[in-house]
Amino acid sequence: MKLFTKLTISLAASALALPGMSAAAQAAASPISLVGDVKAEKVITAPDGTERTELVAPSAIIPGDRLIFGTDYAHGGEEAVSNFVVTNPLPAAVRLAPDADPALEVSVDGGKSWGVLAALTVSGSDGATRPAAHADVTHVRWVLESVAPGAKGRLTYPAIIR
Amino acid sequence: MTRNAHINIALSTICGAAALSGFMIATSAQANGVTAGTLIENTAVASYDDGAGPRTINSNTVSVRVDELLDVTLTSRDPGPVGTRPGDAVLTFELTNQGNGPEAFRLLANPAVAGNDFDVVVRSIAIDSNGNGVYDAGVDALLTAPEATAVLAPDSVLTVFVLVTVPDTATDTQTSIVDLTAEAATGTGAPGTVFAALGVDGGDAIVGGTGAIATARGQLVVGVASVELTKSVVLRDPFGGTSAVPGTIATFTIVARVSGAGTVNDLSITDAIPDGTTYAPGTLALDSVALSDAADGDAGVASDAAGIAVSLGDVTAAFTASVTFNVVID
Repeated sequence: MKLFTKLTISLAASALALPGMSAAAQAAASPISLVGDVKAEKVITAPDGTERTELVAPSAIIPGDRLIFGTDYAHGGEEAVSNFVVTNPLPAAVRLAPDADPALEVSVDGGKSWGVLAALTVSGSDGATRPAAHADVTHVRWVLESVAPGAKGRLTYPAIIR
Repeated sequence: MTRNAHINIALSTICGAAALSGFMIATSAQANGVTAGTLIENTAVASYDDGAGPRTINSNTVSVRVDELLDVTLTSRDPGPVGTRPGDAVLTFELTNQGNGPEAFRLLANPAVAGNDFDVVVRSIAIDSNGNGVYDAGVDALLTAPEATAVLAPDSVLTVFVLVTVPDTATDTQTSIVDLTAEAATGTGAPGTVFAALGVDGGDAIVGGTGAIATARGQLVVGVASVELTKSVVLRDPFGGTSAVPGTIATFTIVARVSGAGTVNDLSITDAIPDGTTYAPGTLALDSVALSDAADGDAGVASDAAGIAVSLGDVTAAFTASVTFNVVID
């Protein structure tokens, strides 16, 4: 039963990784697979006037729209790995959404230094420093001490198109 | 005797617009968000240690193309109602492509607005080709029907003129509104309306918060100054009475009143010396101040043959002047 589970995971991982050539090549050699996706958050208004938010495939995307970038990781190998860090540079055209997890580890200097947003500062062109804002974030990352064989998870961050 | 004269108080309006044009042309990039067609690409990188040393792998790259947002704003550039007179007048508007993609905008001027005292005739819509904020006949391009702007870059600002003719029937203090509407050539509708594949690079075009349509009003106010001249005469005969006999001195008074609004240009009061009388030299006066008979530095000139003439120049309503002169009955 355990074997069957592992098999399913690795099959799914390689199938998902196939469209990206380098990712597929890496996945073959790596026990860890990494699959990214993006969804758009759209507010759907029901006929009775109530609103609900749905995650949909992005279409008709304009400035101000909200996107959820997701990365699924899965460990298809036999041995636990340690110091597992997933780093995601933010595309220049988006900014981190204000409701992003305050505990999310971020960088506002291109990935050189890290911390929660509330602890970071940026210096303006006049040399004065100010508290970092969501729009200043250049990278986000997630750090796990170890990932056990068969473990998998999903990492997401919300962004707004500038 | 009433004469109608016309005004032109639009000059200060035009000067004001010219002073503003400098910064109006300046545009800032990216004010309305990421440009349509931009690809947003996201890739995550994982690093870990599998016991044999550090390793790094990339996720696949996901990409999202930013679609075209259709938004437009239109405002009147006139600081208030444009003073005009019957004849040609110009209304000035400013159009901004608030979208994030290149877009042309259709323009429609509607002079028949409810509440108008009179409706103007729209002669043309013109584009401020030389960017000076003021309509220059023969320089600024007139649009031909169906009127539309060229394709405007995101954030770009365009000055648009609506050239109108005020009917001769318009009278002093009457007002008229002209509505100018701009709508995105790709389409308009409720915010969120999607025009599939009609945006930049085959992407979608989406109607933004403005509905991709904007209307601004320009207003005209007619200032017609009218001049009224009232002439009266007082007789003083040689015997202390008021009979019209040879030797009687007749004092004529002409009062000029300018009413309404605006300015009368080159107002001149002239009168002939009546037959059977002779001008009494040195009696011409303006507001009780004597004017010399000779054509010289002062405003008046008088002679028995040519009559009297007093030049008041450009006068602004409300204005009153009184011209007096004496004749002697022959």
